[in-house]
Amino acid sequence: MTKETAISIQQLSKSYQESGQQHAIFSNLEMQVARGEFIVLLGRSGSGKSTFLNLISGIDPPDSGKVLINGTDITGLSEHKRTLFRRHHIGFVFQSFNLIPTLTVAENLLLPLELIKRVTRQDHQHVGQLLEKLNLADRLNTYPDRLSGGEQQRIAIARALIHDPDVILADEPTGNLDLDTAEQVLELLDILVRKAGKTMIMATHSPEVIGKADRVFSVRNKALHAHEFDS
Amino acid sequence: MRMNSILNRASRNFLWQHPWQLVLAIVGIALGVAVVIAIDLAMESSLKSFNQAGKAFSGSATHRIVAGDGGLDERLYTRLRVEQGIANLSPVVSGTVKLMQPQQETFSLIGIDPFIEKSLHSGWQNEQKEKFPRELLNRLMTEPNSVLLSEKTAQRLHLQVNGQLKVVTERGPQSLTIIGLLPGNNAISDQVLARLLITDIATAQEVLGAYGGLSSIEVMIDKDTPEALAAIQKVLPGYAMLVSIDSQADSMREMTDAFSINLKALGLLSLLVGMFLIYNTMTFLVMQRRRLIGTLRLLGVTRQQVFKLIIGEAFLLAIVGTIVGIALGIVLGQGLLYLISGTINALYFRIDAASLMVTPLQIAKGVALGIGATLLAVLPPAFEATRLSAVKVLARSQLESGSRRLIKTVGSMSFVLILGGLSLAYFSGNSINFGLASVFLVLFGFGLLTPVVTLAFMNLIERVFGRFLGILGRLPARMVAAEISRTGLAIAALMIAVSATIGMDLMIGSFRQTVAQWLHSSLPADLYVSLSGEKMTAGKAQSDHRLKDKLAGLNGVEMLSTALHTKVSVNGKLTKISVYELNDKFRQGFIFKHQVNDDVWMRFDNERTVMITEPYAYHHGVKPGQQVFLKTDQGELAFDVIAIYGDYNGDQGHLAMSRQNYQRYWPDLGYSGIGVYAKAGADLKQLENRVGELLTAHQAVKSNQDIYKASMEVFEQTFTITETLRWLSAAIAFVGVFSALMALQFERTRQLGILRAIGITSMQLTVLIVSETGLMGLVAGLLAVPVGFLVAYILIFVVYQRSFGWTMAFYSDSGVLYQGVALAFIAALFAGVFPALKMAQTKPAEALRTE
Repeated sequence: MTKETAISIQQLSKSYQESGQQHAIFSNLEMQVARGEFIVLLGRSGSGKSTFLNLISGIDPPDSGKVLINGTDITGLSEHKRTLFRRHHIGFVFQSFNLIPTLTVAENLLLPLELIKRVTRQDHQHVGQLLEKLNLADRLNTYPDRLSGGEQQRIAIARALIHDPDVILADEPTGNLDLDTAEQVLELLDILVRKAGKTMIMATHSPEVIGKADRVFSVRNKALHAHEFDS
Repeated sequence: MRMNSILNRASRNFLWQHPWQLVLAIVGIALGVAVVIAIDLAMESSLKSFNQAGKAFSGSATHRIVAGDGGLDERLYTRLRVEQGIANLSPVVSGTVKLMQPQQETFSLIGIDPFIEKSLHSGWQNEQKEKFPRELLNRLMTEPNSVLLSEKTAQRLHLQVNGQLKVVTERGPQSLTIIGLLPGNNAISDQVLARLLITDIATAQEVLGAYGGLSSIEVMIDKDTPEALAAIQKVLPGYAMLVSIDSQADSMREMTDAFSINLKALGLLSLLVGMFLIYNTMTFLVMQRRRLIGTLRLLGVTRQQVFKLIIGEAFLLAIVGTIVGIALGIVLGQGLLYLISGTINALYFRIDAASLMVTPLQIAKGVALGIGATLLAVLPPAFEATRLSAVKVLARSQLESGSRRLIKTVGSMSFVLILGGLSLAYFSGNSINFGLASVFLVLFGFGLLTPVVTLAFMNLIERVFGRFLGILGRLPARMVAAEISRTGLAIAALMIAVSATIGMDLMIGSFRQTVAQWLHSSLPADLYVSLSGEKMTAGKAQSDHRLKDKLAGLNGVEMLSTALHTKVSVNGKLTKISVYELNDKFRQGFIFKHQVNDDVWMRFDNERTVMITEPYAYHHGVKPGQQVFLKTDQGELAFDVIAIYGDYNGDQGHLAMSRQNYQRYWPDLGYSGIGVYAKAGADLKQLENRVGELLTAHQAVKSNQDIYKASMEVFEQTFTITETLRWLSAAIAFVGVFSALMALQFERTRQLGILRAIGITSMQLTVLIVSETGLMGLVAGLLAVPVGFLVAYILIFVVYQRSFGWTMAFYSDSGVLYQGVALAFIAALFAGVFPALKMAQTKPAEALRTE
C-alpha cells in the first residue's frame, strides 16, 4: 500500500543577500516525505540544513516553490496563518533546547497546548505523566536553567510532542550533548516520535542516527542528495 | 598593532553594531547635562544682565544713593554737591521705554550728566574704542529728546543717525532723535549696549515723566576718606539710603538665591534621572558583552584592562553626550531665559532685555558634570565586567539571581536613606539646601526600594492574571521579574520622575488654592483705582488727594480705602512698606498667623507700630513684641511689631503701617491705589464707568475680579518654569524607560523567536511586550503616588517655607494622583510600543539565529 504523503516540497528555492549580492542556498529542491517517515539530513555547518527546516515549518518563507504539509500549501498562507498552522501541526526540537527561561518545566510543556485550546485538568495530568516517562516528574516546577543539557533536551522533545503535531522537525538535537546523553535523547525520539507514527525530519551531524532513519539526504551544492544504503 | 587598540576596536565595533544603545546612552547624558546647563545659563544671564545694566551707568562708582519707588528729589544732588562740597557724584534717571515698531522691544533709557568727572565715567563710556566726540555730548545736552544707541542695535533695527525712534512710556508715545551711535568693542560691551538708550538727565526726566526726580546718584568714595560717607549720610532724607554697589549686587543675588536653588535642584533631578539612564545603558552594554569579555579574559586580558576598556568607552560617550548636551543646553537656556527673567520680574526686581551669556566657566561646569556623572554611573557595571569569569560565561539567570540578592540588600538600605531624608527634613533648621537634599534622599531611597516592590507586585499580578489568563497571562509579569536588574532600574527612574511630578503638582495646587483664598480675602473692595507714575512727580500727592475726594463724592460709593506701596530703610535695608488707610471690611481681610489682641487695630492706627508679612518675619527672624528700626525724616526710630499676617505678594516680605503713622515721619507721596466700596445694590459697571471718567491716561480702574484674574495669571506665569522643568525630567525618564525596553527586547530576541516558532502570532507577541511595559508603568505609577505625597509634604512644609517664608495649607487632589498613575502607565506603554512592533516584525528565523 502506498503511504500517504505528509510533506511535499516542490521547486523550492531560497537565497540570501550579502554585500549587495544574492547567494543561493537552495535551488529547485524536490522532496516527498510519507506519513510516519523519518528523514535524516546530513551536511556541513552552514550548508543550509536549519534553513531547510525553517522553510518546511514556515518560519522562513521561500523565494519560490511550494511546501505542502498534509496537502496544505503553507507557502501560499499569510504570515499569521502560517503561524497558526505551525501552532497546530508542527513540533520543533532545537540544538540549544530553547526552552522559555521565564517559564517552569510544566509551563513550558503546557504553553503549546494553551495556544491551541483552554488547558484542562487532564492536560496537567498528561504533562505529569509525560514527565514521569522522562524520569523528570520531580522537576515539574523547576526553571530550565536548573536542569542539565540532557534534561533540557528531553523537556524540549516533550514540548514538541505535547500538542500531538503531525510533523516533528529536529535541528541537531544532540549537537550540544555528550555521547551517552545523545544516545538517550535519540532513544527517546525513537520511542515518542517514531512509535507514535509521527513524521520527522532531523538535521544532524551524528552518524549514529543514520541507522534509525528511513531515508538519508545530504545537503550539498544547493541541492538535496539522497544516500543509498545496502539493505 | 598594540593590544589595547585591538581591544578598543572590539569594543567599538560592538557599539557600532548597536546604534540604538549608542544613541540612547548619548541622549541620556545629553539631556541631563542640557537641563542643568540651561538652568545655570538662564539664571546667571538674568542676574548678569541686571548687574551689567547697572554697570553701564554706575561706571567706577563705589556707592549709590537710592530711594523707594518715588526716587530722589533732584535738589538732593545740588545740596550734596554745593552745600556739602562732595565731588565725584553722578546723577542718573533711568526707566523703561518700549519701541512702537517693529517688535515692541523694551529698552532701558538712561539719563546721565555727560560732563561728570572722568573718574566717574559710566560703563558705556569706558567701553568705547576711542574717546567719545565732545560735540556729541554737547548735542545730547542741548538738543531735546536726543539719544545715543549702539551701532549693532541700529543695524539690527535699520535705524540711522538723525533718524527718529518712536517709543512708548507711561506718559504715552514719544519721539526720540538718534544723534550718534556707540561702537562696541567686545562681547560684553555689545550685550551691555544692546538694549540701552543714552540721553541726558533732562530728556530722561521729560520722557519718563520724572520731573524734578532722580533714580539714583552714583557716588565714588575713596577708601581713605570715610568722612565723605558720613557727610552724605548726614544730609540724606528719611526716604533715601546710601548703599555700596557691591552690597546691592549681593542683595540681588541673595534675594533670588532660594528661587535659584530650587531651579537648580530641578535641574539636578533631571540629571539624577539621566544618571539612571546612563547606568542602565552601560550595564546593558556590559552584560550583553559578557561572552566577549569572558573570551577576552580567557585570552589573557586582565581585569584592569577590562575595567579601562569600559571606562574608556564611557568616557568617549560622555564627551559626545556632553558636547551635544551643552549645545542643547544653550538652545534650551535661551527658551528658559524668558521664563526665568519673567519670574524674576514678577517676584523680585525688574530685568529688562536679558540676553543669554555663555562663559567658559559655565561650559567647564557642564563638561565636568557630564563626564563626572557618566563615569560615576558607569563604575558599578565596569566593576561588574571585571568580575566576569574567564572560563565560564555566566548565564543570564545566574546574573539575575545575583542581582536579586543585591536588590534585597539595596532594598534594606533604602529604608536608611528614606528615614535619613525625613530626619534631615525635620532636624535641619532653616537650610534650603538640606531641605532639598532630604527630597533627593527620599526620592533616591524609594528609587532603590522600587525593584523589591516590583518583585512583590509582579508576584501578585502573576497569581491573579495567571488564574484567569493562563501561562500567557502570567508571562508579562514573569518577564518583568525575571530581568529585574534591568526592569527595576527603568521602573525606578520612571517612578522618581512621576513622583516628583505628582509632588510638584500637589505643591503648586496647594499653593494655588492658598493664594486664591488669600486674594479673595485681601480684595474686599469692589473696584480698585491704580495711580501709577513716578511718585516724586511734582504735585502727585495733591492730585491723588483731589481724586480721592472726587471718588468719595461719587453716587453709589459707600466708602474708600487707600494704599501706598513704597520703600523705607528698615534695620539698614531698603524694604517695601505698604501704607494703609483701612476700613472694617479691609481689616477683616487680614489673615493673622497667630492670635492677636483685640487692641491690634487701635495700636496699628495710633501707636508707632508696624505689622509684618510672614516672609519678612521668616527672613529677618522678627516676631511680634520685638522692634524694627525705620529711618524717618526725624532720624532712626523704633517701631513695635504687633502682628504677622499672611501675604503672598513677593517672597521678600514687607511691612504694613497705618497712613496716620506714616505721615508723622515721612513726606506725603500720594497713593498707589484706592479701593472703592460700592453701596449695596449699586450697579458696579456703571460705577466703574463713572470712576473711569475721573481718571487720567495713566490711571486705571479694575474690578476685584479683574485683579484676581490678573494675579492668578501672574501666579501661573511664575510656575511656568517649574512646570517646564518637571516635564523635561519626565521626558528624560521616558527616554530611560524606552532605552531599557529596547535593550531588553533586543537581548531577548532569541527567546521571542522561540515563542514565534512554537506558534505565538506577531499580534500576541506585541500584546505580550506591551503588557510587560504597561505593568512596569503601573508599578511605577502606583509607587509614585505615596512617594509624590511625601515629596509634596516636604516641598510645602520644608523647602518652600524655608525658601520663601510662606506657609500654605496642604490640598490633596485625587485628579493629580490618577493623572500620575496614568502618566507612568501610558509613558511605559508608549515606550513599549516601538520595541514591541519591532520585535513582532522581526522574522522568527532571524530571531532564532540571534545569540
